[in-house]
Amino acid sequence: MSDTWGRRSLRQLRQIANDPLLLIVILVILASLVLFIIYPLSKVIITSFLPDGKFSFSVFKEVFSSWYLRQAFYNSIMMGILTAVAGVGVGFVFAFTLARTDIPFKKFFHLIAIIPIISPPFIGALSIIMLFGNNGFISDHLLHLQNIKIYGFRGLLFAQVVTFFPVAYITLRGVLDSISPTLEDAALDLGGTRFKVFRRVTLPLALPGIASAMLILFVETLADFGNPLILAGSQFPILSVQAYLQITGMYDLPKGSALALILLVPSISVFFLQKYWVSRKKYVTITGKPTSSTLKSVSPIAKWILFAVCTFFALTIILIYAAILWGAFVKVWGFNNTFTLDHFKYVFSVGFGAVKDTLIIAGISTPIAGILGMVIAFLVVRKEFPLKHFMEVSSMLSFAVPGTVIGIGYVLAFNSHPLLLTGTLLILLLNFIFRYVPVGIQSGVAILRQVDPSIEEAAIDLGADSRSTFRRVTLPLMVPAFFSGLIFSFVRAMTAISAVIFLVSSNWNLMTVQIMSQVESGRLGAAAAFSVILVLIILAAILIIRAILTLKYGRFGGTTLKF
Amino acid sequence: MMRKSLLILIAVLLVLPFAVFATAEKEVTADKVVVYASVDEGNAKLILDAFTADTGITASFVHLSSGPALARITAEANNPQADVWMGAPSENHVLAKSQGLSVAYNSPSLSELEDAFKDAEGYWRSFYMNPMAFAVNTEALAKIGAPMPTSWDDLLKPVYKGHIQMPTPQASGTAYNIVSSLVVARGEDAAFQYMAKLNPNVQTYTSSGTGSSKGVAVGQCAIGIQFTPAFFKFIDEGYPLKVVFPKEGVGFEAPAVSIIKGAKNMEAAQILVDWLVSKEGQDVLSEVKTFFYPVNAKATLAMGMPQFSELKTIGVDVQWAGDNKKRLVERWVNEVLPAK
Repeated sequence: MSDTWGRRSLRQLRQIANDPLLLIVILVILASLVLFIIYPLSKVIITSFLPDGKFSFSVFKEVFSSWYLRQAFYNSIMMGILTAVAGVGVGFVFAFTLARTDIPFKKFFHLIAIIPIISPPFIGALSIIMLFGNNGFISDHLLHLQNIKIYGFRGLLFAQVVTFFPVAYITLRGVLDSISPTLEDAALDLGGTRFKVFRRVTLPLALPGIASAMLILFVETLADFGNPLILAGSQFPILSVQAYLQITGMYDLPKGSALALILLVPSISVFFLQKYWVSRKKYVTITGKPTSSTLKSVSPIAKWILFAVCTFFALTIILIYAAILWGAFVKVWGFNNTFTLDHFKYVFSVGFGAVKDTLIIAGISTPIAGILGMVIAFLVVRKEFPLKHFMEVSSMLSFAVPGTVIGIGYVLAFNSHPLLLTGTLLILLLNFIFRYVPVGIQSGVAILRQVDPSIEEAAIDLGADSRSTFRRVTLPLMVPAFFSGLIFSFVRAMTAISAVIFLVSSNWNLMTVQIMSQVESGRLGAAAAFSVILVLIILAAILIIRAILTLKYGRFGGTTLKF
Repeated sequence: MMRKSLLILIAVLLVLPFAVFATAEKEVTADKVVVYASVDEGNAKLILDAFTADTGITASFVHLSSGPALARITAEANNPQADVWMGAPSENHVLAKSQGLSVAYNSPSLSELEDAFKDAEGYWRSFYMNPMAFAVNTEALAKIGAPMPTSWDDLLKPVYKGHIQMPTPQASGTAYNIVSSLVVARGEDAAFQYMAKLNPNVQTYTSSGTGSSKGVAVGQCAIGIQFTPAFFKFIDEGYPLKVVFPKEGVGFEAPAVSIIKGAKNMEAAQILVDWLVSKEGQDVLSEVKTFFYPVNAKATLAMGMPQFSELKTIGVDVQWAGDNKKRLVERWVNEVLPAK
């Protein structure tokens, strides 16, 4: 076994050696993955097994013997599964409706469906309380409901689905757009009913996308701590929050690390499950042959039902963001509705430095993360080399690990010579690059699996080397996924909180940390104003990238963007 | 494009380790000081701006709540990034002292403070204090038609079911203060019986120590329990709140300041510590509307705050509270949370 493995590795090595650039790229990426993902994580793992400087399982025994933490584990898994199912459901409805029907206001629905990925920490949850809580605008003033249980299971599930379904929408929209509608047309022509065509053609083709969207949602929900921190509360414990609380509330770094490790188990299992499942069901629909859509695979009744469902969700999302605007521009959120600009004046006097820092950090780290993600996706899907699985798994790791743990890991790992990085810009950049690289990889892998390798093989047969094949053939096909991933990681970098709370310094501070401070000190108006500015910056960035793409590639370039 | 971006990527990844050496050691001076502020962002800025105006020393700070701050100072022990840890209740500073993260500083300012507000050896001094209280949202209370509560026992009444928010002691020092002061006032078993009876009335236990003030301010709940500054702040902002000090008495916190071991700006750090407890530093607390109680009796109080001496307070031995924290919090999780 090891002999064949060794021989295969040797053969792969020899092939790679013919392409020195490829070899260097692989080596550099592997080295950085070890240094900036594996090393900080191992620091945390070591801490969880060495509570008193000696190796011991005592921390894990303590964790498993607590009914409360077992409950937290169960709640997290349940919340992850339900959010994945419901979020992908909503995301699929949006993606399918916008890709396969001719409902009115498509652009508007598209914009609304991606807006929630721009969700400033804490403020979204607060806004939900302002709308649907006991004294909420909808629940109390419109519906006159009493004693709504916004805290705990229902409130959190609602917030998580609203926050994370856009991720599913973006993934599935990309997948559905790349499934040629002519396949559906052909099935219809062959006499299939519309429902049968959907069930037997569209759905199976979209399955790999649905699976990967579910994976992303499950893992993101599992690791998320902004919404549960506000909406879960102690009576509905959530593992990621408990890990954070053990470290920051009980000062128990070993126990917090242990909880984080436990959180990793389902994340990584799901990751492998998805890999196994998706890799067995491989569909190629971009074949290089021209396609044209006739959009007749949906009946008019179904179309208007889908339209109604989308409208309902769109209204909910508009309300949530309107509530934030409302908070930013009135004197006292919910009580004194006099218009004021005081909160914005306050933000510009106290927090302007943070706005600038945030832009610099997100602006530098995002393109690097995007390119790195695409390169890794390409290597993993299309190339054979030793340690390929290690590269794939380790680059996805930071995605599954709660930010708190990454943050602590970075501080533990990079606070002494020769890797003295704490307090610098670099540590924030590195954290963001390696934390958001999986986003690019995910979208890159999803699109590459859809592209028939025979297109690339044809280029190679025609005499192109692997570099120009990648540049002239593969890369253009990856452009939509690349820029979608780019914007997605930009948004995440702008809205991240859990890891960076440990990494910001007096020289480099971030807007999200400011929002958290303002929420903590009770300046809800200022926090809302900060959030409005944050959302505006992100929207501006998306528009600028769109404009550049349109300029460079014509109309095609602008529309390749999933945003 | 691919080649260029690859080269840039490689260049960046190769340069990273070398960039490390560019982070040169900071110079030792007395004209600046770096602070981890567990006082909230806005107030930390106001206090430190006043300090800079008074002394000419530039103070840069990062806001971190007490947990993340201590976690960071611990992780950075080999190479401290900050000179002073300002804010966070004194038990955190007791912990920092016992873990060897802070250094003692003896100066005349230490002897002027009452014993409850300092470490005898000078490792930390408290520079303000806050009592625990209820805040009642008068509009939300009117809506459920409940009377104004005046005592801890009032909160057990069924009329408040699902209308009270307080922080969870798992996360917040504020909530642990509630638990430990109830234990001191009632005895441990009686205190836990009380909290178990209170559990059905609690809408949610917030993770942040100041979470309940937001809940009560926006009317999500009728009653919030926590330290007073955020309550007074919300009243100042115009929210319909009333602060109630329950008649059985309340605990209080005394946030402190420590100099971090290995501070690179030691002299400026010492000046800051002395200034914080001086009359000038203490007057700033009310001038800039922090709604913190000064520890220096000579300092003035902000509008709307009752004299601290008029309140019935419950003193909790900081050392005892720290030693028993793990046990009491676990007991809380096991006995209070499942209570119906």
